Amino acid sequence: MSGFRMAKGGRVDRAAPVSFTFDGQQYQGLAGDTLASALLAAGETLFGRSFKYHRPRGILGAGVEEPNALISVDRGGGRYTPNLRATQIAIYDGLNARSQNRWPSLKTDFGAINDRLGRFFPAGFYNKTFMWPRSFWEKLYEPAIRRMAGLGEAPTDIDPDHYAAEFAHCELLVVGGGPAGIAAALGAANNGERVILIDEQDELGGAALSDPAQWTWLEEARASLAAAGNITVFTRTTGLGYFHDNFVAAVERLTDHLADIGTGPREKLWKIRAARVVLAQGAIERPLVFEGNDVPGVMLASAARTWALRYGVAVGSNVAVMAAHDSGWHDALALAGAGVRIAAIIDYRDTVDPALVRGAEAAGIAVHLGSSVIGVAGRHAVRGITFASNAGGNQRSLACDALLMAGGWTPTIHLWSHSKGSIAWSEKWGAFLPDKPNENVTCVGACGGDWDCGSGANLGQLPTPKDPATIKAFLDFQNDVTAKDIALAVREGYHSVEHIKRYTTNGMATDQGKTSNLNALQLASGFLDRPIEKVGLTTFRPPYTPQSFGAFAGHAKDALFIPTRRSPIDGWAEEQGAVFEPVAQWRRARYFPQGAEDMHAAVNRECLAVREGVGMFDASTLGKIEVVGPDAAEFLNRMYTNPWKALEPGRCRYGLLLREDGFITDDGVSARLAADRFHLTTTTGGAARVLNMMEDYLQTEWPDLDVWLTSVSEQYAVIAVQGPKARAMIAPLVEGIDLSPAAFPHMAVREGTICGVPTRLFRVSFTGELGFEINVPAAFGRAVWEALWQAGQAHSVTAYGTETMHVLRAEKGFIIVGQDTDGTLTPDDAGLGWAVGKKKPDFVGKRSLARPDITAPGRKQLVGLLTDDPAEVLEEGAQIVADPAQAVPMTMLGHVTSSYWSAALGRSIALAMVAGGQGRMGETLYIPMPGKVIAAKVTGMVFYDAAGERLDG
Amino acid sequence: MVETLTRRQHVPDAPHAHAGVTIALAAPMRRWSLRARDGAALAKLLGLKLPGRIGETVGDVACLGPDEWLWRSADGVPKSMGEGLAVSIVDVSERSLGLTLYGPDARAVINAGCPLDLENFAVGRTTRTVYEGVEIILHRADEQRWTIDVWRSFGEWLWLHLNTAAEHSPAAATRS
Repeated sequence: MSGFRMAKGGRVDRAAPVSFTFDGQQYQGLAGDTLASALLAAGETLFGRSFKYHRPRGILGAGVEEPNALISVDRGGGRYTPNLRATQIAIYDGLNARSQNRWPSLKTDFGAINDRLGRFFPAGFYNKTFMWPRSFWEKLYEPAIRRMAGLGEAPTDIDPDHYAAEFAHCELLVVGGGPAGIAAALGAANNGERVILIDEQDELGGAALSDPAQWTWLEEARASLAAAGNITVFTRTTGLGYFHDNFVAAVERLTDHLADIGTGPREKLWKIRAARVVLAQGAIERPLVFEGNDVPGVMLASAARTWALRYGVAVGSNVAVMAAHDSGWHDALALAGAGVRIAAIIDYRDTVDPALVRGAEAAGIAVHLGSSVIGVAGRHAVRGITFASNAGGNQRSLACDALLMAGGWTPTIHLWSHSKGSIAWSEKWGAFLPDKPNENVTCVGACGGDWDCGSGANLGQLPTPKDPATIKAFLDFQNDVTAKDIALAVREGYHSVEHIKRYTTNGMATDQGKTSNLNALQLASGFLDRPIEKVGLTTFRPPYTPQSFGAFAGHAKDALFIPTRRSPIDGWAEEQGAVFEPVAQWRRARYFPQGAEDMHAAVNRECLAVREGVGMFDASTLGKIEVVGPDAAEFLNRMYTNPWKALEPGRCRYGLLLREDGFITDDGVSARLAADRFHLTTTTGGAARVLNMMEDYLQTEWPDLDVWLTSVSEQYAVIAVQGPKARAMIAPLVEGIDLSPAAFPHMAVREGTICGVPTRLFRVSFTGELGFEINVPAAFGRAVWEALWQAGQAHSVTAYGTETMHVLRAEKGFIIVGQDTDGTLTPDDAGLGWAVGKKKPDFVGKRSLARPDITAPGRKQLVGLLTDDPAEVLEEGAQIVADPAQAVPMTMLGHVTSSYWSAALGRSIALAMVAGGQGRMGETLYIPMPGKVIAAKVTGMVFYDAAGERLDG
Repeated sequence: MVETLTRRQHVPDAPHAHAGVTIALAAPMRRWSLRARDGAALAKLLGLKLPGRIGETVGDVACLGPDEWLWRSADGVPKSMGEGLAVSIVDVSERSLGLTLYGPDARAVINAGCPLDLENFAVGRTTRTVYEGVEIILHRADEQRWTIDVWRSFGEWLWLHLNTAAEHSPAAATRS
C-alpha cells in the first residue's frame, strides 16, 4: 500500500463515489477517476505482469504512453476488450476490469519463473533457441510461447456492438486539445472556416489538466470554443493515422466511459479531409534506464504530478526523485506544494540551475547532484533505493515508497511521421523534432519543440558500478527489452536501427516504443560509437494507439458487410422455397425443391420438365449493354471475333470476346434492334468487366467512333421461357409480335408488349429447346413473371434454377466462360473456331491467335467425356491422365470442368480440358480418384440433339 | 395493362422517419441516359436545355460527364431517338431506385458512406459518386433535401445502410 487519496485537490468529484471491480475485488473511486488513479488511490501498486519475464509491474505513465498497466474490460455478452491502458479507462459503476498475463493471480504468477531463467532468454531467443527440431515448432514451442508470453486474451464471442463511420471535411483540423491545440483552434474562431479540434482524453485541456494554475484559463477557453460558431470539438477521439492529402483518421469512443451504453454505436471512425492540419500532440516524458526501474512504484515524474494535481492521488507518502532533466525538479516542487513528501532529488548532472536547488532546499528536500540510482528494493512495491555518485562511490540507501524518473521529453511526432514530414535531431530536447512538412501541416507546442520545460542531460543509461551484462535495466517495458539486449544486438552485428529494433523487439509492442525508442537510440548510438542522427529513428506507422477492429469495420457487418444483389424476381423464388447460390455479387435461385426433394431429385425433375414441356428461369442477372450510335456495328465488329456489320436489325448473334492475348474472356447473345442500336448480353459475373473493357477501347483506342455504351443490366428483368410448349405458353400474353416460326425465327428479337408492358422479346435458347427470353422493365419483372406463371399452369410450367440451367446447357455443349474456360483457352481450344471471322481485318485478340504457341498442337482443348460406367458422375476439377498405372506424380492431361447427371440421357455427362483433346476422339482416359480409377471416353461436346431439331419446338 | 401490374422493389414503400432525417422511396420516374458528340445538337433534337458544366442541373437534366447527361422527370419521353445521329438516347427509367433523404441530419447520414464535402455541395448540384463501394447519383434539391439514384439491386443494401447510419446519428447526443 503506497498511494492514497489526498485530502483535497484534483478534478475528481468527491461527492460522486463510483464502484468497480479489479480482478474480482470491489473498489471505490470517484467520478472523474481513471482505473489507474482509483487503484493508486486505493493503495494498489501492482497492475500487470510483463510480456516475457512475467515481472510484476506498476503504473509508469499517466496517459497514452502507459506500457505496463494493460487491462481487460468485460461488460459481458461479448463486450470484452483486452489490452486497454488503465490510465485511459474511465471508471463507471459496475466496471469489471482484469489484469493480464498472469496465472493464477497477479500477486502469485507461476510465469514469473521466466524472470529467474532470464539469462536463457536473451534478445532473439525465439529465433535461436526454438529452431531445432523443426517439427517441434508448431506443436510445442509456439503454443508454449503463446501461453507464456503475451498480452491479453483475444475475445471469443461475437461483438454485439455497432460501430459508426462518417466522412468530415474542414479547413483546419487540430489534433490535440492541450493549451497549444486550443490556442490554434481559437486562432481560427469565427473566421468563417470549419475547424475541428480532436483530443483523446475524456476532457479537453491536455497538460493544463495537471496544472491547477491554468484551470481558470481552461474554463474560459472551453467557453470560447463553445461560443465560436465554427469550431467542432471531439473529445475521447484519437487521431490514429495521417494519410495522403491531409486525410486524417480518428476514432471517437462514444460509450466505453458510460455505465449505461444505450443502443447506439460504441465507436465512430471519423475520416477527416482537412485543408490544413495543426498537430498539437504534446510530448511524452522519458524514463531513465537503471537496474530496478521497473519495480512497481517507479514511475515518470510527470505522471506523479498528474495523479496528484489532476486526480488528488499521492503515489506515496515518502517519494524520491531521480532526475536528468529540470522538469523533474519542477514536478517535485509541485508535488511538495500539494502536500506530497519528497524525500530527495537525485540528479545525474553535476550542476543544476541554482534556482532549482534553492527551491528544493527551501522545501526541505535533500539534493544529491552527480549521482544516480543503482538499485531499487521491493518486488511488488518500492521499499527503498540505493544510489551512488556517478563514479560509483558514496553508495547510500534511502527508504521511500515511490521513485519518480525525469529523463527529459520526447515530442510526439507520430502523426507528423505518418504524413512523411522529415525530422531533425535536437540536442536540446535529446529527441527528433519535426523539420520539413510533406503536407499542409504544422506542429505547435511541445510536439513542435516549442515548450520551455528547462534543460537536461541526454543519456542512454545511468552509470552503475555493477557489470552491465548482469543487470536488467529496462528500456521497453511492454516488450521486456533491457539495455544489455541492445548491447547484444550491436555485438552480434546489427548496426541499423531497423535491425536492432526487430532483433530486440524494442519499440515493437502495442505502444510502439512511446517511452523506449529514444533511450534505445541513445544506447545504440553509444555502442556503435556513431552520432545519434546517423543512427536514425525507426518509422512510425498508424495506428497511433491500438484500435478496435470494430472501428475499422464500421457498419460493414452482417447484412451490411457487402451488398447482396437480388433480382426483381428473387422474392418470388424465396416464397417458393428456392435454394439460392451466390453468383458474383448476386444471389440466384439454384433449384426449387418440392416436398422432400434433394438437389438431384429437384434438378432431374426441372430438366425433364424443360425438355418435355416448358420451364421458366430468372435470367435477370445477365449483364446487358445498350450500344447506340452510327458506329455501333463497326465498334462491335472490332470488339468481337465474329462479323457484326451485316447482321440485320431484328436478328441476334452469339458474340465471343477475347482479350488482347487471344484468350476467351466473355460471351453472350446480342441483338440488333435498329441500324444504330444493339442490345448486348454478357455473363452475370462479367457484366462490369466487359463494360469497362469496351469503354477502355472506346475512350483510348477509338475515340473517333460515334458510339456510346450504356449499362441496362438493371433496366430489364429477364424471364427465360424454354421448352416445346414455350410458344403456346407465352402467346396469350404477347401483343404486337407475330410469334409464328416463320415470322419470328430462332436468334431473332422483336419489340412489343407482354401483359401490357413493353418488352424486348428474344427468341434464343441456352437449353437447346424452343425458347424465349422476355426482357421487361425491372419494376414489372415480378408481376410479369407471376402472370406468366399463372398462364403457364395450363401447360404445367416448372420453375427451374441455375443448376438445371447448367445441366441443360452442358447437354448441348454450351460453355460457361469462367467454368469451362480458365483464361488460357482460344476460340479453337473451346471448339468455337466457327465464331471467328476469318476474313475480318482485325478484332481484339486477332494478332495473338497467329502466335506459334497458340497454333501449336497439344494445347488443352475442351472436349466431352462419357464415363464407361454411365452411373458415375465425375467430380468437377478432377485431374485426367492417360496412364493410371504411371508412378505418382502422373502426367496430367487436364481436368474436368463441368459434370452432371443428365436426366434426359439417363447417364452422366462431362466437359473437360484435355491436352490435344480434339485429336483424342474415342480414346479412353482415366480419372484417378481416392480408392478407384474412373475410365471415360473422349467425345464431342454436344450430347443431346446434335442436329438441333428441337429449337423449333 | 401496365396500371394493373404492381411495381415491385426490394425497398419499402413507406418512408422511415428518424429523429433528424426521413428516408423515403422516390416516386417512379422516367430516366434517360443522354450521350452526344455535340450537346447543342442533342438539345435541339430533344427540345431540352442541357447544362454545360459537369455537376450542373438545368430543369430536369443534369450533366454527369463531358458528353453525358441524365434526364429525369415524371413522364418525359424523347421526341426522337436520334436515329442516324451522333447521339445515344437510352431508357434507363427502371435501372435505378430513387431514394429521398430530408431533415437536418440528411447530410451527415449521406456522409456516413459518401466521401464528398457535402457541406460545400451546392443546392441543385448533381453528381455521380460512391456510397461505401456502391455507385450513386447524388442530387441536392434544397438545404435539407437530397435524392440518391442507385442501381436497383443495390437499393436494398443502401436502404438498410442509410437507415442504420440514421439510427446511429443520434449518438452525437452522448458526446460531452
